[in-house]
Amino acid sequence: MPDSQPNAVSVTINGTQIEAEAGELVIAAADRNGVHIPRFCYHERMSSVGMCRMCLVEVDTGRGPMLQPSCMISVTDGMIVDTESDQTKRAQEGILEFLLINHPLDCPVCDKGGECPLQDQTVAYGPGESRFIEEKRHYEKPIPISDLVHLDRERCILCDRCTRFADEVAGDPLIQFTERGNETQVLTFPNEPFSSYFSGNTVQICPVGALTAAPYRFKARPWDLEQVESTCTTCSVGCRVAVQSSRNELVRYLGVDIDPVNHGWLCDKGRFDFEAIKSPNRLETPLIRDPNDKDQLIETTWGAALAASADAIKEARSGKIGVIGGSRLTNEDAYAWAKLAGSVIGTNNVDAQLGDGLPGKVVLGLPGATIDEACSADTVLVIGPDLKEELPILHLRLRGAAKKKKVKVVEITPLQTGVSSYAHRSIVCRSGEAAKTLKSLLTSDDELSQEIRSGSVVVILGRSSLAESALPAIEVASVITEELPKAKFLVALRRGNVRGAIDMGLSPGLLPGRVPLENPNDEIKKIWAKVPTVEGLDTAGMLRAAADGQLDVLILVGADPLVDFPDQDLANRGLRGAKFVVAIDNFPTLSVANADVVLPATAYGEKGGTTTNIEGRVSRLAQLVTSPSAARDDWMIASELAWRLGGDLKFSSMEEIWSEIEQVAPSHNGITLEKIWADETRDGILITETSIQLAIEPSGETPVVDGYGLRLISGRKLYDAGTQTSNCASLSALAQDAELRVNPTELERLGIQDGSEVTIISTKATGVAIAIADESIPRGTAVLPFNNPGIRANLFINSELPVTDIRIETR
Amino acid sequence: MTELGIPIPHAPGFIANKTPRIVTSRFDYEDSFTIERYEETGGYQGLRTALSKTPEAVHGEVRDASLLGRGGAGFPAGVKWGFCPPGVWPRYLVVNGDESEPGTYKDRLLMELDPHQLIEGCLIACYAIGLSQCFLYVRGEMAVAQERIAQALNEAYAAGYIGKNILGTELSVDIVLHWGAGAYVVGEETALIESLEGNRGMPRLKPPYFPASIGLYGQPTIVNNVETLSNLPWILSNGSEAFKAIGTETSPGTRMVAVSGHVKRPGVYEIVNGTTTFRDLIYGETMCGGIRNDAALKAFVPGGGSAPWFTADQLDLPFEASQVGPEGSMLGSGAIMVMDETTDIPAAALTLTKFYAHESCGKCVPCREGGTWLEQIMRRVVNGSGTKRDLDLLIEVGETICPGDFPHASNKEKGLSAVPFPYKMTTICFVGPSAFAPVHSALTLFREEFEAKVAGNSDRNYVEVTINA
Amino acid sequence: MGYLDGFKITFGKLFEERVTTEYPKEKREKPDRFHGRHVLNRYEDGMEKCIGCELCAGVCPAKCIYVRGADNPEEAPVSPGERYGFVYEINYLRCIHCDLCVEACPTEAITESKLFEFSFDNRSDAIYTKDELVVDDQGLPQKQPWELWHVGDDLKTSGWMRATASSGNPAYENRVGWSGELGYGVREPERGQQFDESEPQNLDGKDDQD
Repeated sequence: MPDSQPNAVSVTINGTQIEAEAGELVIAAADRNGVHIPRFCYHERMSSVGMCRMCLVEVDTGRGPMLQPSCMISVTDGMIVDTESDQTKRAQEGILEFLLINHPLDCPVCDKGGECPLQDQTVAYGPGESRFIEEKRHYEKPIPISDLVHLDRERCILCDRCTRFADEVAGDPLIQFTERGNETQVLTFPNEPFSSYFSGNTVQICPVGALTAAPYRFKARPWDLEQVESTCTTCSVGCRVAVQSSRNELVRYLGVDIDPVNHGWLCDKGRFDFEAIKSPNRLETPLIRDPNDKDQLIETTWGAALAASADAIKEARSGKIGVIGGSRLTNEDAYAWAKLAGSVIGTNNVDAQLGDGLPGKVVLGLPGATIDEACSADTVLVIGPDLKEELPILHLRLRGAAKKKKVKVVEITPLQTGVSSYAHRSIVCRSGEAAKTLKSLLTSDDELSQEIRSGSVVVILGRSSLAESALPAIEVASVITEELPKAKFLVALRRGNVRGAIDMGLSPGLLPGRVPLENPNDEIKKIWAKVPTVEGLDTAGMLRAAADGQLDVLILVGADPLVDFPDQDLANRGLRGAKFVVAIDNFPTLSVANADVVLPATAYGEKGGTTTNIEGRVSRLAQLVTSPSAARDDWMIASELAWRLGGDLKFSSMEEIWSEIEQVAPSHNGITLEKIWADETRDGILITETSIQLAIEPSGETPVVDGYGLRLISGRKLYDAGTQTSNCASLSALAQDAELRVNPTELERLGIQDGSEVTIISTKATGVAIAIADESIPRGTAVLPFNNPGIRANLFINSELPVTDIRIETR
Repeated sequence: MTELGIPIPHAPGFIANKTPRIVTSRFDYEDSFTIERYEETGGYQGLRTALSKTPEAVHGEVRDASLLGRGGAGFPAGVKWGFCPPGVWPRYLVVNGDESEPGTYKDRLLMELDPHQLIEGCLIACYAIGLSQCFLYVRGEMAVAQERIAQALNEAYAAGYIGKNILGTELSVDIVLHWGAGAYVVGEETALIESLEGNRGMPRLKPPYFPASIGLYGQPTIVNNVETLSNLPWILSNGSEAFKAIGTETSPGTRMVAVSGHVKRPGVYEIVNGTTTFRDLIYGETMCGGIRNDAALKAFVPGGGSAPWFTADQLDLPFEASQVGPEGSMLGSGAIMVMDETTDIPAAALTLTKFYAHESCGKCVPCREGGTWLEQIMRRVVNGSGTKRDLDLLIEVGETICPGDFPHASNKEKGLSAVPFPYKMTTICFVGPSAFAPVHSALTLFREEFEAKVAGNSDRNYVEVTINA
Repeated sequence: MGYLDGFKITFGKLFEERVTTEYPKEKREKPDRFHGRHVLNRYEDGMEKCIGCELCAGVCPAKCIYVRGADNPEEAPVSPGERYGFVYEINYLRCIHCDLCVEACPTEAITESKLFEFSFDNRSDAIYTKDELVVDDQGLPQKQPWELWHVGDDLKTSGWMRATASSGNPAYENRVGWSGELGYGVREPERGQQFDESEPQNLDGKDDQD
């Protein structure tokens, strides 16, 4: 990618004169003009190394034609390039012969066989026969270099792509070249596996079958794959993926390179979690509480399950119904549920978030930034969750921009995160006090403060810890709007389509299309049978109301409050307090087990539609496989329920729903189906329009931690005990057991041995965990992952308080 | 002791000539490496002279002397210094003491026998270019050189020649001694910088062609050879005119050559650039004294293991790059390897090829794969199991590393006319072509010896299959 | 003569050699390259030749082959190398016996026998699975209940039956280029597969075209 200003130079490639940008590489200029130069090591998203020499072409800059690697030479005015000369062809044949002399040619057993650049380019440019009669190089056949990636050094052509990726892009330089000359090989360091969150990308960019992914190993051959392009919904970054299946079974995701979002990269969780979709644990049939044994759920028919649900909703007192969840859904599904709740049931008790994000009005009210804007702003303030754990590709993009010195990343965090390694400044503050810290930073005459104020600022805002309420993050927003009025925000919400669900009105006080409840637009009044007027409760409110007997029916749409709501005690009381709980889900989660009716829904890859990412970018999802037995799309369930409740949602396909969204939602006006499906909108359509006015309520002080307590910090890990991860055979083992990490001096003060079991005491519960001394944890705090195998942090968290303090004792 | 009463620390008869001695002047003393001896024999006078001038004047003096780099490429040092982009700081001086070309051992002696001369040269260079940090990269295998340099650095620090405010002036320079890990390719300046940074010693991409713009830690860096820098004290003490008076206009001064192989007195000689011929060196009474056992000369390598070979036809060529190049070889690192009539040429070529194949860093495919392949074919030919086809195959494989005509010397007997240096290559650095150079020279000049080795073997171009396993 | 012409032919033929046989009691010799039902071969050490590469499935014009590979269990490998055919099914209601699978097979694992007399009374029998296709410990095909075999019919099923050279180079046609297999070892060439001791003349095979 040329960094300099567009500065056209004229270059002749194979006799055709073309315009190129000064500083652009010859190979890139040729690519843009439809001339393919064979290559192995060159990758447009990484720096050139010129290792494979496959891209040698004849370049004449006035001193006569010379063989030059086109991935290293920048275009200059008047340059003459010949990619097809005899000299070039001889060089290409020679290089390929060299590459093949030690290549094992075990293509029939190689996963890459059939889609292998080495195979393809050998056919296209190769010499046709080998003159090599010696013994080939031999190494031990595939060695696992991590739980997910196998390395076959015999097949490796040492192009430096994987090692470059690990170092340059992922920042986990755990694979390197060892030995030299003919013995050069890629290897991990002794006893240190290639445990990177992004290791799967090396498999995708490997130009041979040297790196293979354990979850895809021998599952299919390229020629029996079916493929659609879709968007990943594992987190809310919205990476473009190619979804591939064989025999109606998902077998592989590949990253698709789009400029605004993922640059072709995927995190390993997003890449390999297709295993969950074909998991045998999927819910396949509707379940209903056994009338004879209240502890049992038994299989039933759709008719019976829906009738029971509809009856419960009909019997409920008006307004005493709540819908929790929806961030797993597509935009269309979310709209159907919003319409069911608002237009048919008549309640605004809808919340797509499980008390682990920020209020919908804040999300939509803050001026939005795109990922590109974040990666080109002068300063990026990161005040939120560990991006590496929750939004890995955003972390990758930000890291890339910081490494290229395009942005200055300033982080305010209660503990070291993945961002700290490339942050210009990483300011550690006590959990819950980010706003105070930020304010004193911005009002000080520190050099950094001047730097932040003098340039453009993008704030990546979220909840630094799930043991905090949303208040500290909202306070940060208010400090920024006050001190840096031009700053833009990228709200770091984690769940797949949480942004889309909020856009579709699955958030209290909002209507579809980023419209406030107080001020409904005309279209919605025309199309919806009734529009709610009273602002509903959020998830915490609904659970509290249910616990107090104030809510009769709770509908969980792909939500598992017992695990995901930060306060398990409240979630538990809420689910028990509600008279009737309907759960719509893919998996038998903990909350599903507490439901009265369970309705199985279709999952990713089994339905089409659209999704909206963290920036508000609408991109399409594609259907490739069919769902197991009786599962139905969420919008169909909503439609059915509406019909049984005497209403009619008036649509019978995803396309019809979108057409209605396009009409009803002012922010989505004009985004027709044709536009979404057009080829040029592969990158998605960014929606920036919003009618929400930001109103930040003032809040109280964060309480001071007392001398005996430790402030609890809890964040999610990429691999945790979440439903999706634990249903992936390859990923579930990667989730580390939950450990309580505390600064060693604190442990010493309390007389606790490193690695011993401790009792954690909070106002909510008492539990046992292993305490680990960790220098990187600030004193006065204790860190417990939110949902890792062992003990869940939400056992201890009190969502009523802005922060949670705990005590630990030896057992 | 030799006939001239010179101590013999490493190579017998390493200095026997009476030509002007610029860099080897102190080699006759047993304690040449001490600071006392150095100061006594005019040491650090060049630095004092330099400090009395402006840096620009010192730079100008060196440029006027047109001191050519002694590392192999022969690029004028003064010009190289001028490539530093103005106003970019810090910048570094890196001394390339990773001498590892087969047959070359002149820098080792300079570092072992006269480390202070090198240090003084570094200081003069630092003053001229305005640097305050110098890295001495010494080859890992040269234990004595490392010790002597370390000792000399300590002495020089103690005497106030290095450190803060050298000799009471504004100049402050720190010199860091770095031990290499022993890789041939690190002699290439960009690979040396990578190694110095703690990375794998692999050549960097070109452009930029000179690390003077982007080098060590991304800063402007001057990489100079040990011998080049060792010339500076003399130039500063005696002036550029005196330096230019020695040798020829295009390559002034003297240079050190290391002679090995079948001569009576192998060793290091300081010869006059441009006037001394190979015949003077090999047959001169004060130099090598002729071929051992008074045998006939078969071939010699004029400039390190990677240079194409010469035969007796080229004996009268002087040490002058502009004359050696058109004749199809290079002066390179100044290592002369002499082979007499008893030499098994294919075996000699195999030895050299083996070295380069082993020393390939593994970055470029042609060198990594082709070098080893060449070695494997050569092995087959040398041990008598090759075929005639293999001889052509050697050239074909080599052509993938070095497309086009590979330089070689002329030969009257065979009716060959010279192909001038340099070669074209498909690799980043010269290690790949170096593996091919000995094979090509040997095959071009002595094909009959190869043919004798493969005679009687039938051609084979497919793999035999066994019918009844 | 009219109608007597017909009798003349009948009488004439009475004394000629008979060309019809009493099939199925009596069976004629099949041509060397007869395409019957497939077998999956094994090496002499008992290892399966199939590596589950799916090339046969990929080339099959009738799409009647279903293969899935899997990692060879380290303790008890099924085939040499890292991958083996975990699932192997041929649907004989679709198979057109074109032999392209045999040509595509890189390991000579699948070959066609001369067995063709099989009739099923249900569709699932028509899908031969790996258990049914793989040869027994003597290297002979396994007889299914619905197959009609005579003595000796089950011979000649090995990799020998391939039409092209294993390297794909026509110059190597009719040359043994593979290791011995169960029940057959490495056999002498058959009729039509005459092995010529002299060097192949056309090693690069380029002269075929022009």
